Amino acid sequence: MVSSANHKLLRVENLVLHFRTTVGTVQAVDGIDFELDSNRAVVILGESGCGKTSLAKAILRLLPRNVEKYTGKVYLNGVDIMALNDEEFRQNIRWVGISLVPQAAMNSLNPVIRVGDQVAEPAIVHLGIKKAEAWNLAKQMFQHVGVPEDFLYRYPFELSGGMRQRVAIAMALVTSPSLIVLDEPTSALDLLTQANIFNVLKRIKKELGTSFILITHDIATSSELADEVAIMYAGQIVEVGHAKDFFPKPLHPYAEMLMASVPRLRQDQDPEFIVGQPPSLINLPTSCRFAPRCPKRFSKCDQDPPMIEKDGRKVKCWLYA
Amino acid sequence: MPEKTVNNSSRSVIRKKPESTFTRVARYTLVRGITLFLTVVVGVFLTIIIANMGGYVDEIRKGEIQETYQQAAILNPAIRNLPPEERNKWVEDQIRLAYKRYGLDQPFLVRAVIYLRNALTLDLGRSLNMTSDTGSRQVRLIILERIPPTLILFGTSGFLLFFVELFFALYLSRRYGSFWDKVVVTLAPMNAAPGWFYGIFLILIFAAILKILPFGGMVDAPPPPRWSFAYFVSLLKHMILPIMAIAASQLVLSVYSWRTFFLIYSSEDYVEMAKAKGLTSRAIEQRYVLRPTLPTIITSFAFLLIGIWTGAPIFETVFNWPGLGRQIYQAIGLFDVPVIVGETVIFSYLLAITLFLLDFVYALVDPRVRVGGQGGAQG
Repeated sequence: MVSSANHKLLRVENLVLHFRTTVGTVQAVDGIDFELDSNRAVVILGESGCGKTSLAKAILRLLPRNVEKYTGKVYLNGVDIMALNDEEFRQNIRWVGISLVPQAAMNSLNPVIRVGDQVAEPAIVHLGIKKAEAWNLAKQMFQHVGVPEDFLYRYPFELSGGMRQRVAIAMALVTSPSLIVLDEPTSALDLLTQANIFNVLKRIKKELGTSFILITHDIATSSELADEVAIMYAGQIVEVGHAKDFFPKPLHPYAEMLMASVPRLRQDQDPEFIVGQPPSLINLPTSCRFAPRCPKRFSKCDQDPPMIEKDGRKVKCWLYA
Repeated sequence: MPEKTVNNSSRSVIRKKPESTFTRVARYTLVRGITLFLTVVVGVFLTIIIANMGGYVDEIRKGEIQETYQQAAILNPAIRNLPPEERNKWVEDQIRLAYKRYGLDQPFLVRAVIYLRNALTLDLGRSLNMTSDTGSRQVRLIILERIPPTLILFGTSGFLLFFVELFFALYLSRRYGSFWDKVVVTLAPMNAAPGWFYGIFLILIFAAILKILPFGGMVDAPPPPRWSFAYFVSLLKHMILPIMAIAASQLVLSVYSWRTFFLIYSSEDYVEMAKAKGLTSRAIEQRYVLRPTLPTIITSFAFLLIGIWTGAPIFETVFNWPGLGRQIYQAIGLFDVPVIVGETVIFSYLLAITLFLLDFVYALVDPRVRVGGQGGAQG
């Protein structure tokens, strides 16, 4: 199933992931579209609970038991990976096409297996190589991320938080996937370690030509890596654009307020905050989802806005219609 | 990160090479062995002190001896007619000799240490009434010939139960909410009744009514020749009902709780990572669910084993199983104190050995188990 249209690395079309709960349907991912070229990094920004992590899970097909609706199209190198069955997906996509650096690297390593084995494991499974070769690969990856080689023989509890995060990145690199999903890779770390990890990621992007989907709420650090920015609000993407256009002047009112909430060096006024709470993802309104908190709302906002193209950027807001 | 820093840190770490699994387990085992032995020593010593009422039993025995020889002096005409000084001297001599014979001339603490040494080296003295199958009154022989049947029964059932429960619990954790899962959850309270309780009904059904399995005992009477195939078959036939009884009482609750452990551990982040890594579901189950859960499972199994040990007296009596448990039950009935004390010592040894083996397995399956606080760098 090769899509003729383009040479995009990743194209997501109308991706939907709804969960069933006792109080109703949680519309965690509700019709997401975006594209990514190879050797680019898109950062997906949003508040806690806006469906960022669910988006990562939907792309990676890591679904909990209570999935109600899981539809849409995800093209990786032109192949619709949503159409693959579980075994095909496991063999051809998992870690070969897309790998993951998880939210809490602290708990994402098996406590009773040496980290070297865990890093080498995907290479043994997917590249069909011997254990010794896989360990050599793992050693190279440890060099890439700046972890001493003999740490391969350690258990996860013998590593610090920053080291574990580097190990998680090394693990994501070991099969040389074209795309790595980073789900809040530095949220649990201190500022210095965060900066270190982002340097590692930038170097990997330059040296290995990998693409990243970086999911975070940390606007300041993400701006270092991002080529493109997607703003997520209540399960939908409300603005997509190049980082160089977005960061100086965001278009969507939510994005504007999000940027205004970031403290800056030598800033006169206090950082602003956004009044109210993000909506619950159950029983979402038919109006614009940001309307209840929006300072610029007007009569049209009672209807759901479409994605509107403006100067090569896309924004989901009636202001630009 | 600059290259120089990497080199520095790697050099500093190489000095402290991670210890191998073998040295870690060996050192852990040694320390645990010594600790458990000391525990047994203290336990047996306390038993001796308590059983002797802190030495007061010696006073009672001294009084008994004095009375015995004063009576003897009065009853024996040859001595009764001696002059009082000589008669008293005879009595005192006899008492002194008796003290010496029973070791009562030494202070209690010294004697307690001797008792301790004897108990620990299984020099358990002579029984009052009971004899071994070979006719000996040596408590050690009486007890030693009862150990194999107990080990055969509880060893086999423990081994079988462990693997059946593990397999079944894994199966259910995969089919959470299925029919069999609901059956297990519903039947979990079966654990409230002990094994021998189910044993009575099983004997009633399979031996008395259906007449397909023996009522009790370890082999048919007359027993087939030892180490022959017929002996083995007969032994197996006699083990079916006891093992079924233990399973009836233990299996369901264990399966229920282990399946819950597996479900809890399956929701760990590293299991999801393993799935994202594209491992087969078999590999995920073995390396990412079972391996990290094993320490918890083994702990719960240890409690189960110890529970079965302590239930052995009644259980073996119900099934007429010629093991340690039934013997201690008989010894209590006959007030045979040396046998009771000897059994206590043997049971404490068996308990310590059980714990020791479990500790050993624990150290094998969990790299976080170490001697002393050298847990390594924590983030």
